[in-house]
Amino acid sequence: MPATDAFPEIPLFDLQLRPEDLRAVADTLRSGWLTLGPRTAEFERAFAEQLGARHAIAVSSCTAALHLAYLAAGVGPGDEVIVPSFTFVATAAAAVYCGARPVFAEIVSRERPSLDPQDVERRITPRTKAVCVVHYAGYAAAADTLRELCDARGIALIEDVAHAPSATLGGRKLGTWGLAGAFSFFSNKVLSVGEGGLVCTDSDEVAELARSRRSHAMTSGTWQRHRGCADTYDVTGLGFNYRTDEPHAALLLSRLGGLEADIACRRELTERYRGLLAQLEGIIVPFADADVAGSSCYVMPIMIEADARQAQVSARLRERGIQTSIFYPSIHRFSAYRERFGEQSLPITELASRTELTLPLYPHMTHADQDRVVAALAEALAR
Amino acid sequence: MTGWRVPLTDIAMAEQDVQAVLDCLQSGWLTMGPRTQAFEQVLADYVGTPHAVAVSSGTAALHLALLAGGIGPGEEVIVPAFTFVASAAAARYVGAEPVLCDVHAANDFNIDPDDAARAITPRTRAIVVVHMCGYPADVEALRGLCDEHGLLLIEDCAQAIGAHVGSYSRQVGTIGDIGAFSFFSKKQLCVGEGGMVATADERLAARVRLLRSHAMTSGTWDRHRGHDPSYDVVDIGFNYRLDEPRAALGLSRLARLAEGIDNRRALVRAYRERLASLPGLELAFDELAVERSSHFGFPVLLRDRDARDRFREALKAQGIQTTWYPALHTFSEYRNRTPSGSLPHATQAAERHCVLPLSSTMDERALDVVVEAVRGALASA
Repeated sequence: MPATDAFPEIPLFDLQLRPEDLRAVADTLRSGWLTLGPRTAEFERAFAEQLGARHAIAVSSCTAALHLAYLAAGVGPGDEVIVPSFTFVATAAAAVYCGARPVFAEIVSRERPSLDPQDVERRITPRTKAVCVVHYAGYAAAADTLRELCDARGIALIEDVAHAPSATLGGRKLGTWGLAGAFSFFSNKVLSVGEGGLVCTDSDEVAELARSRRSHAMTSGTWQRHRGCADTYDVTGLGFNYRTDEPHAALLLSRLGGLEADIACRRELTERYRGLLAQLEGIIVPFADADVAGSSCYVMPIMIEADARQAQVSARLRERGIQTSIFYPSIHRFSAYRERFGEQSLPITELASRTELTLPLYPHMTHADQDRVVAALAEALAR
Repeated sequence: MTGWRVPLTDIAMAEQDVQAVLDCLQSGWLTMGPRTQAFEQVLADYVGTPHAVAVSSGTAALHLALLAGGIGPGEEVIVPAFTFVASAAAARYVGAEPVLCDVHAANDFNIDPDDAARAITPRTRAIVVVHMCGYPADVEALRGLCDEHGLLLIEDCAQAIGAHVGSYSRQVGTIGDIGAFSFFSKKQLCVGEGGMVATADERLAARVRLLRSHAMTSGTWDRHRGHDPSYDVVDIGFNYRLDEPRAALGLSRLARLAEGIDNRRALVRAYRERLASLPGLELAFDELAVERSSHFGFPVLLRDRDARDRFREALKAQGIQTTWYPALHTFSEYRNRTPSGSLPHATQAAERHCVLPLSSTMDERALDVVVEAVRGALASA
């Protein structure tokens, strides 16, 4: 690898697995059973219980989970799904997979970059089939207000909980406010295993559809046939291969045991970051100190007050060995979405996308590294 | 856990496979990194294709193949009726209509190029050729047919990695415009869930790479290495990425793939020799096909559906696990998608066949058990 491609000294995220995590995967591999079997079922049961949802269906990614959740909400060609633009592209792309049009709504402010229920309300049309709320960075959006808004109009509320496992709003877990929640286990996430996702729901119908479509709408799986419970199968719909596999389920099950401890570390580091960053001029630190306790603290976003400094500050931090990222470029500004859905103006979202920087955060980050990040940021901002 | 004396198939995990995955997990880098790149390179060399793109499944590979090929709404894709449902579902993902055609014969499960030719309409854009059970289909005839009509030829190699194609002395997946492979847990090369797209066309490979990861102009790995911190999204893409632990496992197991296929072929030859003259049982495919096949499964034929079902019951009673593949036009979801209304060979093949146990590490002793049980099952039928 050329020297210019050197890894950052302080990466955006870092994953350290415990010996018991590795053992769980090794045991699964040695068992020789690699697809949708007892470990997936056990992980789903444990995750559902920890979340307080009736059903959990493990899938290949959060993108897959969103696709299945929208399908379960009845989203189809000609429908509209209201989503934030200040999110990862999958939130909108999954609506396009269903043949629907994503309708982008504003965030509240740079101080609270979560979906704005009032703007959502303004964008509801007779074609609106679902609203997807994203709990950005692990902090609860107004799922309660959105739930009332959607219920009153017979619209499905879907939660994109990719950032927010075990986070809460008013004591209730995120992912349990809507018809279905979509979680991510991507490698940089709070509960990460590489690629993976999950649909949670209290609805038996949603669960049945997600389970069926996850594996090609086949009426029995390899595991049932292996156990002699089923002889053959029918195909009863248009399904997909959105299965996860057993080594990933084993790793998830093992890591689930460490989730609360990891989140506690993230919260402590986030509170410390907030204290340090409060001393700096020229930045907004989104959300309030009081929000940290209910957050999964997936990432540490800041907004640079002045416009047009994002690339410069990011480059300066990179020179200091510190990796940052942008969570997120606005979806409605991407070429693919402008071409298909036209030009649109969302000033708060666009400003947030132009000024946001995501700072390094991971459970085992040291205070010394945090101090380095904050010092380098102060220096970069002062230039 | 299960009472099978001989399971349908079995995965033997070598200790170096387990270690490869553990090393990857300990590295802490789990997505689209150096292991995926290495796996793609070694796969490309093995298959003999200029470009290999690792994806999340064989289904994803077919979907991306059709998308990259520009197939869309209102168009038709010809698919054999005797295949796994993904071969047809992928056409529907892109808004196209799968048109089912027949296979050669009850004892040759592969697409009949003449019937495929009859299914061509002005809306036809592609033919999906499936190499069933690992036996190479007549891709040479289909290549000619597709060239003549300006159609895309997609090879569904989900069951056939390492199989050879007729006079080309090349591997399956390199004759069509794109090849789609599967690394599902029952396959010759298995990682749990996984797949690959192979193509000689640089433009198609670039499209597949782009659409595999949400059509983003830069990936996590690039950003980790300090490249452009932002990105554009230039199409409606998907999350069809393979992750690093799976790539590590695939890379480790690929070293023993050829040996595994050789063992499968030796077992199939032993099976054929010992089952050849049994009354009431017919072998599928011929010796040349056996030579070229990579032997995902070993199918035999019974007289009719009833005889097949009784045969399977008798084997099950002996602790022998078997399976059979339904034809697509018998599924509720695909019942009304056959233009001619009848697909006699696919129907016969599906109703009469039974797949016997076979794996890369199965031994002669297990084969003896199956052969004895087969004799018994036929005698009591």
